[in-house]
Amino acid sequence: MNAIRDTPSLSMVRCAACGRVDTPRRAVCSACLANQLEPIAIPGNGVVASFTTIRRAPTQFRDRAPYDVVVVDLDAGLRVTGRLDAQSSPAAVGARVGLVSAEGSDTVFAVSQT
Amino acid sequence: MRDVSIVGIGSTPFGRHAGTPIEQLGVQAAVEALMDAGIDRSRIGALYLGNFISGPLNGKEVLAGIVADQLGLPNIPCTKVEGACASGGIAFRHAWLAIASGQCDAALVVGVETMTHAPTAQTTAALNCAMDNENDGPSGLTFPGLFGLAWRIHADRYGTTREQVSAVVKKNKANGLLNPLAQMGATLTNEQIAASASICDPLQLYDCCPASDGAAALVLVASDRLSGTQGMPINILAAVQTRGSPSIGGHPDLCSFDATVSAARRAYEMAGIAPRDVDVVELHDCFSVAEIVDSEDLGLVPRGEGAIWAAEGRTAVGGQIPINPSGGLLAKGHPVGATGVGQLYEVVRQLRGTHPNQVRDAEIGMTHNLGGAGVACTVSLLRRPA
Repeated sequence: MNAIRDTPSLSMVRCAACGRVDTPRRAVCSACLANQLEPIAIPGNGVVASFTTIRRAPTQFRDRAPYDVVVVDLDAGLRVTGRLDAQSSPAAVGARVGLVSAEGSDTVFAVSQT
Repeated sequence: MRDVSIVGIGSTPFGRHAGTPIEQLGVQAAVEALMDAGIDRSRIGALYLGNFISGPLNGKEVLAGIVADQLGLPNIPCTKVEGACASGGIAFRHAWLAIASGQCDAALVVGVETMTHAPTAQTTAALNCAMDNENDGPSGLTFPGLFGLAWRIHADRYGTTREQVSAVVKKNKANGLLNPLAQMGATLTNEQIAASASICDPLQLYDCCPASDGAAALVLVASDRLSGTQGMPINILAAVQTRGSPSIGGHPDLCSFDATVSAARRAYEMAGIAPRDVDVVELHDCFSVAEIVDSEDLGLVPRGEGAIWAAEGRTAVGGQIPINPSGGLLAKGHPVGATGVGQLYEVVRQLRGTHPNQVRDAEIGMTHNLGGAGVACTVSLLRRPA
Protein backbone atom coordinates (compact mmCIF):
# COMPACT_ATOMS: atom_id res chain seq x y z
CA MET A 1 0.00 0.00 0.00
CA ASN A 2 1.42 3.33 -1.07
CA ALA A 3 1.86 5.92 1.60
CA ILE A 4 -0.10 9.09 0.95
CA ARG A 5 2.42 11.27 -0.84
CA ASP A 6 3.35 14.79 0.24
CA THR A 7 -0.13 15.49 1.60
CA PRO A 8 -1.69 16.70 -1.68
CA SER A 9 -4.64 19.04 -1.37
CA LEU A 10 -7.84 19.87 -3.22
CA SER A 11 -8.21 23.12 -5.14
CA MET A 12 -11.41 24.87 -4.12
CA VAL A 13 -12.54 28.49 -4.06
CA ARG A 14 -13.38 30.81 -1.19
CA CYS A 15 -15.66 33.80 -1.72
CA ALA A 16 -13.83 37.03 -0.85
CA ALA A 17 -17.14 38.65 0.11
CA CYS A 18 -18.93 36.06 2.28
CA GLY A 19 -16.31 33.39 2.91
CA ARG A 20 -18.25 30.47 1.44
CA VAL A 21 -15.98 27.62 0.33
CA ASP A 22 -17.19 25.78 -2.75
CA THR A 23 -16.11 23.71 -5.74
CA PRO A 24 -14.13 25.63 -8.37
CA ARG A 25 -15.02 26.27 -12.04
CA ARG A 26 -17.87 28.65 -11.24
CA ALA A 27 -18.34 32.31 -12.19
CA VAL A 28 -19.85 33.62 -8.98
CA CYS A 29 -20.48 32.64 -5.38
CA SER A 30 -23.90 30.95 -5.32
CA ALA A 31 -24.53 32.26 -1.79
CA CYS A 32 -23.97 36.00 -2.45
CA LEU A 33 -23.26 36.30 -6.24
CA ALA A 34 -19.93 38.04 -5.64
CA ASN A 35 -17.45 37.26 -8.40
CA GLN A 36 -14.23 37.41 -6.43
CA LEU A 37 -13.47 33.76 -5.79
CA GLU A 38 -10.05 33.11 -4.36
CA PRO A 39 -8.36 29.76 -4.90
CA ILE A 40 -7.72 27.86 -1.69
CA ALA A 41 -6.20 24.49 -0.98
CA ILE A 42 -8.13 22.29 1.41
CA PRO A 43 -7.01 18.99 2.92
CA GLY A 44 -8.32 15.87 1.21
CA ASN A 45 -9.08 13.87 4.34
CA GLY A 46 -12.56 12.60 4.92
CA VAL A 47 -15.04 9.75 5.19
CA VAL A 48 -16.59 7.60 2.44
CA ALA A 49 -20.28 8.52 2.06
CA SER A 50 -20.75 5.83 -0.59
CA PHE A 51 -18.91 4.04 -3.37
CA THR A 52 -19.55 1.90 -6.45
CA THR A 53 -17.37 -0.23 -8.70
CA ILE A 54 -17.72 0.89 -12.32
CA ARG A 55 -17.35 -2.15 -14.60
CA ARG A 56 -18.98 -0.67 -17.73
CA ALA A 57 -17.10 2.58 -18.15
CA PRO A 58 -17.41 5.56 -20.50
CA THR A 59 -15.01 5.36 -23.48
CA GLN A 60 -12.33 7.61 -21.97
CA PHE A 61 -12.20 5.48 -18.80
CA ARG A 62 -12.52 2.06 -20.44
CA ASP A 63 -8.88 1.06 -20.05
CA ARG A 64 -9.03 1.74 -16.29
CA ALA A 65 -12.15 -0.34 -15.60
CA PRO A 66 -13.05 -1.77 -13.21
CA TYR A 67 -12.49 1.15 -10.83
CA ASP A 68 -14.23 2.45 -7.72
CA VAL A 69 -15.90 5.86 -7.65
CA VAL A 70 -16.10 7.23 -4.10
CA VAL A 71 -18.14 10.09 -2.69
CA VAL A 72 -16.18 11.62 0.18
CA ASP A 73 -17.39 13.90 2.95
CA LEU A 74 -14.28 15.99 3.57
CA ASP A 75 -13.39 16.95 7.13
CA ALA A 76 -13.33 20.50 5.75
CA GLY A 77 -17.05 20.24 5.02
CA LEU A 78 -17.51 19.64 1.29
CA ARG A 79 -18.86 16.49 -0.38
CA VAL A 80 -16.75 15.55 -3.43
CA THR A 81 -16.67 12.78 -6.04
CA GLY A 82 -13.43 11.01 -6.88
CA ARG A 83 -11.86 7.69 -7.76
CA LEU A 84 -10.35 5.17 -5.39
CA ASP A 85 -6.69 4.46 -6.09
CA ALA A 86 -6.24 1.02 -7.69
CA GLN A 87 -3.73 0.15 -4.91
CA SER A 88 -6.07 1.17 -2.07
CA SER A 89 -7.60 -1.19 0.47
CA PRO A 90 -11.28 -1.85 -0.36
CA ALA A 91 -13.71 0.99 0.31
CA ALA A 92 -16.55 0.79 2.82
CA VAL A 93 -19.25 3.26 3.80
CA GLY A 94 -17.81 5.25 6.72
CA ALA A 95 -14.15 4.36 5.97
CA ARG A 96 -11.61 7.16 6.38
CA VAL A 97 -9.80 8.16 3.21
CA GLY A 98 -6.99 10.47 2.25
CA LEU A 99 -6.15 12.19 -1.01
CA VAL A 100 -3.57 10.46 -3.22
CA SER A 101 -3.56 12.94 -6.08
CA ALA A 102 -5.63 15.78 -7.51
CA GLU A 103 -4.96 17.02 -11.01
CA GLY A 104 -7.57 19.47 -12.20
CA SER A 105 -10.87 17.87 -11.28
CA ASP A 106 -9.43 14.34 -11.42
CA THR A 107 -9.34 13.39 -7.76
CA VAL A 108 -7.99 10.11 -6.41
CA PHE A 109 -8.40 8.87 -2.82
CA ALA A 110 -7.13 5.87 -0.87
CA VAL A 111 -8.45 4.26 2.30
CA SER A 112 -6.34 5.43 5.25
CA GLN A 113 -4.33 2.88 7.17
CA THR A 114 -5.15 2.95 10.86
CA MET B 1 -55.96 29.08 -13.01
CA ARG B 2 -58.34 26.97 -15.06
CA ASP B 3 -58.94 23.24 -14.72
CA VAL B 4 -57.28 21.20 -17.47
CA SER B 5 -58.09 17.68 -18.70
CA ILE B 6 -56.29 15.06 -20.76
CA VAL B 7 -58.68 14.08 -23.56
CA GLY B 8 -56.45 12.18 -25.97
CA ILE B 9 -53.52 9.75 -25.69
CA GLY B 10 -51.26 8.00 -28.17
CA SER B 11 -48.06 5.96 -28.05
CA THR B 12 -45.83 3.90 -30.26
CA PRO B 13 -44.51 0.69 -28.75
CA PHE B 14 -41.27 1.32 -26.82
CA GLY B 15 -38.35 -0.69 -28.17
CA ARG B 16 -36.50 -0.74 -31.47
CA HIS B 17 -37.70 1.41 -34.34
CA ALA B 18 -34.55 1.27 -36.43
CA GLY B 19 -34.95 3.11 -39.71
CA THR B 20 -37.87 5.29 -38.58
CA PRO B 21 -36.82 8.96 -38.41
CA ILE B 22 -37.36 10.41 -34.94
CA GLU B 23 -39.91 13.02 -36.06
CA GLN B 24 -42.06 10.31 -37.65
CA LEU B 25 -42.29 8.44 -34.34
CA GLY B 26 -43.48 11.66 -32.70
CA VAL B 27 -46.01 12.22 -35.48
CA GLN B 28 -47.38 8.66 -35.16
CA ALA B 29 -48.02 9.09 -31.43
CA ALA B 30 -49.49 12.57 -31.97
CA VAL B 31 -51.93 11.41 -34.67
CA GLU B 32 -53.13 8.64 -32.36
CA ALA B 33 -53.68 11.17 -29.55
CA LEU B 34 -55.54 13.61 -31.84
CA MET B 35 -57.79 10.82 -33.16
CA ASP B 36 -58.37 9.55 -29.63
CA ALA B 37 -59.45 13.03 -28.53
CA GLY B 38 -61.60 13.50 -31.62
CA ILE B 39 -60.44 17.11 -31.68
CA ASP B 40 -60.07 19.31 -34.75
CA ARG B 41 -56.37 20.12 -35.33
CA SER B 42 -57.18 23.80 -35.79
CA ARG B 43 -58.02 24.02 -32.07
CA ILE B 44 -54.47 23.10 -30.94
CA GLY B 45 -52.97 26.32 -29.62
CA ALA B 46 -49.49 25.15 -28.56
CA LEU B 47 -47.15 22.17 -28.89
CA TYR B 48 -44.59 21.16 -26.27
CA LEU B 49 -42.16 18.40 -27.18
CA GLY B 50 -39.94 16.60 -24.70
CA ASN B 51 -36.64 15.31 -26.06
CA PHE B 52 -33.13 14.97 -24.66
CA ILE B 53 -30.52 13.93 -27.21
CA SER B 54 -31.86 14.17 -30.76
CA GLY B 55 -29.05 16.61 -31.53
CA PRO B 56 -26.09 14.37 -30.67
CA LEU B 57 -27.71 11.08 -31.77
CA ASN B 58 -29.75 12.18 -34.80
CA GLY B 59 -28.29 15.53 -35.84
CA LYS B 60 -31.79 16.99 -35.53
CA GLU B 61 -33.07 19.88 -33.42
CA VAL B 62 -36.18 22.11 -33.58
CA LEU B 63 -38.15 18.87 -33.38
CA ALA B 64 -41.29 20.58 -32.06
CA GLY B 65 -41.62 22.69 -35.20
CA ILE B 66 -40.82 19.75 -37.48
CA VAL B 67 -43.47 17.54 -35.85
CA ALA B 68 -46.06 20.37 -35.98
CA ASP B 69 -45.29 20.92 -39.66
CA GLN B 70 -45.79 17.24 -40.51
CA LEU B 71 -49.06 17.26 -38.54
CA GLY B 72 -50.31 20.25 -40.52
CA LEU B 73 -50.84 22.26 -37.36
CA PRO B 74 -51.53 25.98 -37.63
CA ASN B 75 -48.94 28.68 -36.91
CA ILE B 76 -48.73 28.14 -33.16
CA PRO B 77 -45.88 28.30 -30.64
CA CYS B 78 -43.94 25.00 -30.80
CA THR B 79 -41.35 24.41 -28.11
CA LYS B 80 -38.88 21.63 -27.47
CA VAL B 81 -38.04 21.30 -23.78
CA GLU B 82 -35.06 19.49 -22.30
CA GLY B 83 -34.52 18.27 -18.77
CA ALA B 84 -32.64 15.03 -19.45
CA CYS B 85 -34.79 12.06 -18.41
CA ALA B 86 -37.51 14.44 -17.14
CA SER B 87 -37.93 16.16 -20.54
CA GLY B 88 -41.33 14.55 -21.18
CA GLY B 89 -42.77 15.43 -17.79
CA ILE B 90 -41.60 19.01 -18.21
CA ALA B 91 -43.23 19.25 -21.67
CA PHE B 92 -46.51 18.08 -20.12
CA ARG B 93 -46.31 20.61 -17.30
CA HIS B 94 -45.70 23.47 -19.73
CA ALA B 95 -48.71 22.49 -21.83
CA TRP B 96 -50.82 22.33 -18.67
CA LEU B 97 -49.53 25.75 -17.65
CA ALA B 98 -50.31 27.31 -21.05
CA ILE B 99 -53.94 26.18 -20.79
CA ALA B 100 -54.39 26.72 -17.06
CA SER B 101 -53.14 30.30 -17.42
CA GLY B 102 -55.49 30.98 -20.34
CA GLN B 103 -52.87 31.36 -23.07
CA CYS B 104 -54.64 28.71 -25.16
CA ASP B 105 -57.59 26.30 -24.83
CA ALA B 106 -55.95 23.14 -26.18
CA ALA B 107 -52.36 21.89 -26.47
CA LEU B 108 -50.48 18.91 -27.80
CA VAL B 109 -47.70 17.23 -25.81
CA VAL B 110 -45.22 14.92 -27.53
CA GLY B 111 -42.30 13.03 -26.02
CA VAL B 112 -39.88 11.27 -28.33
CA GLU B 113 -36.41 9.72 -28.42
CA THR B 114 -34.45 7.33 -30.62
CA MET B 115 -31.33 5.69 -29.20
CA THR B 116 -30.97 2.11 -30.41
CA HIS B 117 -29.43 3.02 -33.79
CA ALA B 118 -26.38 4.59 -32.12
CA PRO B 119 -23.31 2.70 -30.85
CA THR B 120 -23.44 2.22 -27.06
CA ALA B 121 -20.39 4.44 -26.53
CA GLN B 122 -22.07 7.32 -28.38
CA THR B 123 -25.33 6.88 -26.44
CA THR B 124 -23.46 6.73 -23.12
CA ALA B 125 -21.54 9.89 -23.97
CA ALA B 126 -24.76 11.69 -24.93
CA LEU B 127 -26.57 10.59 -21.75
CA ASN B 128 -23.58 11.63 -19.65
CA CYS B 129 -24.14 15.23 -20.80
CA ALA B 130 -26.78 15.32 -18.01
CA MET B 131 -24.08 14.88 -15.37
CA ASP B 132 -22.07 17.63 -13.64
CA ASN B 133 -19.10 17.23 -15.95
CA GLU B 134 -17.00 19.78 -14.06
CA ASN B 135 -17.12 17.97 -10.74
CA ASP B 136 -18.56 14.45 -11.06
CA GLY B 137 -17.80 13.36 -14.63
CA PRO B 138 -13.99 13.44 -14.23
CA SER B 139 -14.19 10.63 -11.63
CA GLY B 140 -15.51 8.24 -14.29
CA LEU B 141 -18.94 8.09 -12.67
CA THR B 142 -21.86 6.88 -14.81
CA PHE B 143 -25.64 7.11 -14.25
CA PRO B 144 -25.87 3.45 -13.22
CA GLY B 145 -23.00 4.33 -10.86
CA LEU B 146 -25.08 7.08 -9.27
CA PHE B 147 -27.64 4.45 -8.31
CA GLY B 148 -24.90 2.07 -7.19
CA LEU B 149 -24.03 4.79 -4.66
CA ALA B 150 -27.69 5.00 -3.56
CA TRP B 151 -27.98 1.22 -3.23
CA ARG B 152 -24.89 0.98 -0.99
CA ILE B 153 -26.38 3.53 1.38
CA HIS B 154 -29.80 1.85 1.39
CA ALA B 155 -28.12 -1.48 2.15
CA ASP B 156 -25.87 0.05 4.82
CA ARG B 157 -28.65 2.00 6.52
CA TYR B 158 -31.65 -0.34 6.20
CA GLY B 159 -30.11 -3.76 5.55
CA THR B 160 -31.57 -3.99 2.04
CA THR B 161 -30.63 -7.26 0.31
CA ARG B 162 -30.03 -8.34 -3.31
CA GLU B 163 -33.17 -10.52 -3.12
CA GLN B 164 -35.35 -7.62 -1.95
CA VAL B 165 -34.15 -5.42 -4.82
CA SER B 166 -34.71 -8.33 -7.21
CA ALA B 167 -38.38 -8.25 -6.19
CA VAL B 168 -38.67 -4.89 -7.98
CA VAL B 169 -37.03 -6.32 -11.10
CA LYS B 170 -39.27 -9.40 -11.12
CA LYS B 171 -42.44 -7.37 -10.59
CA ASN B 172 -41.73 -4.80 -13.30
CA LYS B 173 -40.50 -7.38 -15.82
CA ALA B 174 -43.64 -9.47 -15.16
CA ASN B 175 -45.84 -6.36 -15.54
CA GLY B 176 -44.11 -5.66 -18.83
CA LEU B 177 -45.24 -9.03 -20.19
CA LEU B 178 -48.85 -7.80 -19.89
CA ASN B 179 -48.18 -4.49 -21.69
CA PRO B 180 -48.12 -4.71 -25.50
CA LEU B 181 -46.14 -1.43 -25.63
CA ALA B 182 -43.34 -2.80 -23.42
CA GLN B 183 -39.89 -3.57 -24.79
CA MET B 184 -38.60 -6.19 -22.34
CA GLY B 185 -41.19 -8.04 -20.29
CA ALA B 186 -39.85 -11.27 -18.79
CA THR B 187 -40.38 -13.89 -16.16
CA LEU B 188 -37.21 -13.86 -14.08
CA THR B 189 -35.89 -15.72 -11.06
CA ASN B 190 -33.63 -14.41 -8.32
CA GLU B 191 -30.93 -16.71 -9.67
CA GLN B 192 -31.13 -15.28 -13.20
CA ILE B 193 -30.95 -11.72 -11.89
CA ALA B 194 -28.03 -12.50 -9.58
CA ALA B 195 -26.18 -14.24 -12.44
CA SER B 196 -26.53 -11.30 -14.85
CA ALA B 197 -23.48 -9.19 -15.71
CA SER B 198 -22.16 -6.72 -13.14
CA ILE B 199 -22.52 -3.14 -14.38
CA CYS B 200 -21.46 -1.13 -11.34
CA ASP B 201 -21.64 -2.88 -8.00
CA PRO B 202 -24.15 -3.66 -6.67
CA LEU B 203 -26.11 -3.02 -9.92
CA GLN B 204 -26.35 -5.87 -12.40
CA LEU B 205 -27.70 -5.96 -15.93
CA TYR B 206 -31.31 -6.72 -14.96
CA ASP B 207 -31.26 -3.77 -12.55
CA CYS B 208 -30.88 -1.38 -15.50
CA CYS B 209 -33.44 -0.10 -18.01
CA PRO B 210 -32.69 -0.72 -21.69
CA ALA B 211 -31.93 1.84 -24.38
CA SER B 212 -35.15 2.43 -26.29
CA ASP B 213 -36.84 4.20 -29.17
CA GLY B 214 -40.38 5.46 -28.82
CA ALA B 215 -42.86 8.28 -28.65
CA ALA B 216 -45.97 9.17 -26.67
CA ALA B 217 -48.43 12.04 -27.00
CA LEU B 218 -51.29 13.70 -25.13
CA VAL B 219 -54.00 16.20 -26.01
CA LEU B 220 -54.85 18.60 -23.20
CA VAL B 221 -57.96 20.80 -23.21
CA ALA B 222 -59.37 23.36 -20.77
CA SER B 223 -62.02 21.55 -18.73
CA ASP B 224 -64.58 24.24 -19.66
CA ARG B 225 -63.88 23.75 -23.41
CA LEU B 226 -64.51 20.01 -23.70
CA SER B 227 -67.27 20.14 -26.30
CA GLY B 228 -66.03 18.78 -29.61
CA THR B 229 -63.90 16.16 -27.86
CA GLN B 230 -64.84 12.55 -27.14
CA GLY B 231 -64.29 10.02 -24.39
CA MET B 232 -63.60 10.33 -20.69
CA PRO B 233 -61.72 13.52 -19.76
CA ILE B 234 -59.06 12.89 -17.10
CA ASN B 235 -58.62 15.86 -14.79
CA ILE B 236 -55.15 17.15 -13.93
CA LEU B 237 -55.15 17.70 -10.16
CA ALA B 238 -51.49 18.74 -9.98
CA ALA B 239 -48.54 19.24 -12.32
CA VAL B 240 -45.41 20.18 -10.40
CA GLN B 241 -41.81 20.70 -11.47
CA THR B 242 -38.87 21.15 -9.11
CA ARG B 243 -35.10 21.49 -9.17
CA GLY B 244 -32.53 19.59 -7.16
CA SER B 245 -28.75 19.71 -7.20
CA PRO B 246 -27.08 18.92 -10.53
CA SER B 247 -24.06 17.61 -8.60
CA ILE B 248 -23.41 14.65 -6.31
CA GLY B 249 -21.83 17.02 -3.81
CA GLY B 250 -25.07 19.01 -3.54
CA HIS B 251 -27.12 16.04 -2.38
CA PRO B 252 -27.03 15.83 1.41
CA ASP B 253 -28.47 12.29 1.19
CA LEU B 254 -27.37 10.10 -1.73
CA CYS B 255 -30.30 7.78 -1.01
CA SER B 256 -33.03 10.42 -1.55
CA PHE B 257 -33.71 13.10 -4.14
CA ASP B 258 -34.73 16.50 -2.77
CA ALA B 259 -36.42 17.36 -6.06
CA THR B 260 -38.74 14.35 -5.72
CA VAL B 261 -39.53 15.00 -2.07
CA SER B 262 -40.44 18.65 -2.72
CA ALA B 263 -42.37 17.92 -5.93
CA ALA B 264 -44.47 15.28 -4.19
CA ARG B 265 -45.18 17.55 -1.23
CA ARG B 266 -46.33 20.37 -3.51
CA ALA B 267 -48.39 18.02 -5.68
CA TYR B 268 -50.30 16.55 -2.72
CA GLU B 269 -50.93 20.06 -1.42
CA MET B 270 -52.08 21.33 -4.83
CA ALA B 271 -54.44 18.36 -5.26
CA GLY B 272 -55.63 18.45 -1.66
CA ILE B 273 -54.98 14.74 -1.21
CA ALA B 274 -52.68 12.50 0.83
CA PRO B 275 -50.34 9.75 -0.41
CA ARG B 276 -52.82 7.09 0.79
CA ASP B 277 -55.40 8.46 -1.71
CA VAL B 278 -53.23 7.46 -4.69
CA ASP B 279 -54.47 4.29 -6.41
CA VAL B 280 -51.77 3.74 -9.05
CA VAL B 281 -48.28 5.13 -9.70
CA GLU B 282 -45.91 5.22 -12.65
CA LEU B 283 -42.53 6.31 -11.27
CA HIS B 284 -38.99 6.72 -12.54
CA ASP B 285 -37.41 3.26 -12.13
CA CYS B 286 -34.44 3.84 -14.44
CA PHE B 287 -32.73 1.33 -12.14
CA SER B 288 -34.28 -1.17 -9.72
CA VAL B 289 -33.06 0.65 -6.65
CA ALA B 290 -34.43 3.93 -8.05
CA GLU B 291 -37.97 2.57 -7.62
CA ILE B 292 -37.20 1.87 -3.96
CA VAL B 293 -35.79 5.36 -3.36
CA ASP B 294 -38.58 7.05 -5.38
CA SER B 295 -41.40 5.24 -3.60
CA GLU B 296 -40.00 6.47 -0.28
CA ASP B 297 -39.35 10.01 -1.54
CA LEU B 298 -42.94 10.21 -2.86
CA GLY B 299 -44.25 9.32 0.61
CA LEU B 300 -45.95 6.18 -0.71
CA VAL B 301 -43.85 3.82 1.39
CA PRO B 302 -42.27 4.49 4.82
CA ARG B 303 -38.60 5.56 4.64
CA GLY B 304 -36.30 2.57 4.44
CA GLU B 305 -39.10 0.08 3.65
CA GLY B 306 -39.24 0.39 -0.17
CA ALA B 307 -37.40 -2.87 -0.71
CA ILE B 308 -39.44 -4.71 1.93
CA TRP B 309 -42.74 -3.53 0.42
CA ALA B 310 -41.64 -4.73 -3.02
CA ALA B 311 -40.58 -8.11 -1.63
CA GLU B 312 -43.90 -8.48 0.21
CA GLY B 313 -45.87 -7.78 -2.99
CA ARG B 314 -47.40 -4.60 -1.61
CA THR B 315 -46.38 -2.63 -4.74
CA ALA B 316 -47.79 -5.20 -7.19
CA VAL B 317 -51.13 -4.83 -8.98
CA GLY B 318 -53.64 -5.85 -6.31
CA GLY B 319 -51.28 -4.71 -3.55
CA GLN B 320 -51.54 -1.69 -1.27
CA ILE B 321 -49.98 0.75 -3.75
CA PRO B 322 -49.46 -0.64 -7.26
CA ILE B 323 -46.22 0.79 -8.73
CA ASN B 324 -45.35 0.63 -12.43
CA PRO B 325 -48.06 -1.75 -13.69
CA SER B 326 -46.84 -0.77 -17.19
CA GLY B 327 -43.54 -2.48 -16.50
CA GLY B 328 -41.89 0.86 -15.78
CA LEU B 329 -38.66 1.98 -17.37
CA LEU B 330 -37.11 -1.39 -16.48
CA ALA B 331 -39.45 -3.39 -18.71
CA LYS B 332 -41.48 -0.95 -20.80
CA GLY B 333 -38.27 0.84 -21.79
CA HIS B 334 -36.78 4.31 -21.46
CA PRO B 335 -36.82 6.36 -24.68
CA VAL B 336 -35.60 9.24 -22.55
CA GLY B 337 -37.62 12.23 -23.79
CA ALA B 338 -40.74 10.09 -24.26
CA THR B 339 -40.71 8.47 -20.82
CA GLY B 340 -42.58 11.13 -18.83
CA VAL B 341 -45.30 11.40 -21.47
CA GLY B 342 -45.51 7.60 -21.66
CA GLN B 343 -46.08 7.46 -17.90
CA LEU B 344 -49.05 9.82 -18.27
CA TYR B 345 -50.36 7.69 -21.16
CA GLU B 346 -50.27 4.64 -18.88
CA VAL B 347 -51.97 6.35 -15.95
CA VAL B 348 -54.73 7.79 -18.19
CA ARG B 349 -55.47 4.23 -19.40
CA GLN B 350 -55.61 3.07 -15.78
CA LEU B 351 -58.07 5.83 -14.87
CA ARG B 352 -60.19 5.12 -17.96
CA GLY B 353 -60.30 1.48 -16.85
CA THR B 354 -58.80 0.25 -20.13
CA HIS B 355 -55.28 -0.75 -19.11
CA PRO B 356 -54.01 -4.23 -20.09
CA ASN B 357 -52.74 -4.58 -16.50
CA GLN B 358 -55.61 -2.79 -14.82
CA VAL B 359 -55.59 -1.67 -11.19
CA ARG B 360 -59.15 -2.24 -10.02
CA ASP B 361 -61.27 0.91 -9.55
CA ALA B 362 -58.30 3.25 -9.97
CA GLU B 363 -59.54 6.81 -9.44
CA ILE B 364 -56.39 8.82 -8.67
CA GLY B 365 -53.07 8.22 -10.41
CA MET B 366 -49.58 9.65 -10.03
CA THR B 367 -46.58 10.03 -12.33
CA HIS B 368 -42.99 10.81 -11.33
CA ASN B 369 -40.24 11.71 -13.81
CA LEU B 370 -36.65 12.45 -12.68
CA GLY B 371 -33.80 13.93 -14.74
CA GLY B 372 -30.01 14.03 -14.49
CA ALA B 373 -28.53 13.44 -11.05
CA GLY B 374 -31.85 14.61 -9.59
CA VAL B 375 -31.61 18.13 -11.06
CA ALA B 376 -35.13 18.12 -12.55
CA CYS B 377 -38.30 16.41 -11.37
CA THR B 378 -41.96 16.43 -12.27
CA VAL B 379 -44.82 14.91 -10.31
CA SER B 380 -48.38 14.83 -11.63
CA LEU B 381 -51.66 13.76 -10.07
CA LEU B 382 -54.64 12.80 -12.25
CA ARG B 383 -58.24 11.93 -11.39
CA ARG B 384 -61.04 10.35 -13.37
CA PRO B 385 -64.58 11.74 -13.19
CA ALA B 386 -66.50 10.33 -10.22
